[in-house]
Amino acid sequence: MAFAWKAAGLTYNRYVAVASRVVRRSLKEDQRVAVERRGEMDLRFAKWENGKQGETKNLASANEAAMAEQASSSSSS
Amino acid sequence: MMLSRAARPALRAGVAATARPATLNATNAATYATLREIEGRLKSIRNIEKITKTMKIVASTKLTRAQKAMTSSRSYGQTSNTVFENAETKPLEGEGKKSLIVVCSSDKGLCGGIHSGMSRKTRKMLLEKPDTDIVVVGEKCKSQLGRSNGKNIVLSFAGVGKDVPTFVDASAIADQISLLPTDYSSIQVMYNKFINATSYEPVIIEAFSEEAIAQSPNFAAFEIDDDVLANLREYALANSLYWALAEGHACEQSARRNAMDNASKNAGDMINRYQILFNRTRQAVITGELVEIITGAAASEEG
Repeated sequence: MAFAWKAAGLTYNRYVAVASRVVRRSLKEDQRVAVERRGEMDLRFAKWENGKQGETKNLASANEAAMAEQASSSSSS
Repeated sequence: MMLSRAARPALRAGVAATARPATLNATNAATYATLREIEGRLKSIRNIEKITKTMKIVASTKLTRAQKAMTSSRSYGQTSNTVFENAETKPLEGEGKKSLIVVCSSDKGLCGGIHSGMSRKTRKMLLEKPDTDIVVVGEKCKSQLGRSNGKNIVLSFAGVGKDVPTFVDASAIADQISLLPTDYSSIQVMYNKFINATSYEPVIIEAFSEEAIAQSPNFAAFEIDDDVLANLREYALANSLYWALAEGHACEQSARRNAMDNASKNAGDMINRYQILFNRTRQAVITGELVEIITGAAASEEG
């Protein structure tokens, strides 16, 4: 069983997040405003190596980059 | 203790002033200084009380929202855990595989000991299993654990705790955790459990690995394909994280409310004590001055 989004390198959570964003954006104006705040995410993260904190990066863009990388590697193989 | 000691020099200075009018100017300056000092301290305590009171109000309004989010998030986590309960999933033991602890704290302090409680529990767990990796959510536990167990930390997240955590937050964190190169035999999500408004306890929810799910005794009851299993695991991790984040957030707000309540009370006590001290010192200064004037007048009459 192959999922199209799995082939595109997305994780299930990402897939759910994208789908829910679509639903949120297609709501009527008044409800959309109330609901849109649930879709906000402004986290930063850092990788640690040997007890030292690495560079702080934006989580959303890092996730996208990682998934794009997975997609290209899976499609080439 | 400080107060009574501060009050005495003023009284003694008043007595000394009557005895030796020659040193009058110098001692007078000293009593005025302490009076002004007390006044300044009173003012700053009043300001602190104002701030803590405001923070308490802010925390209580946020608390109601946080609690609502907590109860709704609980159903997420518990529903996803029902699957594992029915499948009787157990964490895999031994095999030398690493496990991972996800510590859910937040960025902000001023809320009592809830962050250090979690750090302490993490350290205790690390003593038993020193090769466990840690993922830290929130700056507070990051700085605490970074000092003592920096080598175990693999990821840290910041920016949590500004608002009620969303599911998008949780799933993004879960994605980043599942992208980690090491294959963990078990992932333990640690958070503060909300027992009641004044007590919290760091507890753990298990998020199982694929093998653990596949080997669970009742697994056959669910007709799950192998491909879907990975998705289930990721989604379950996100669910657990969301639950942990929301409950931790509610605990934090409630703890902050209590901490600020206590701080305002203490500030109120201090204001009372300082007010009394201030009045007493002022009285002493006035009495001292009166005595000086009277003795001066009496002396000039005689002469």
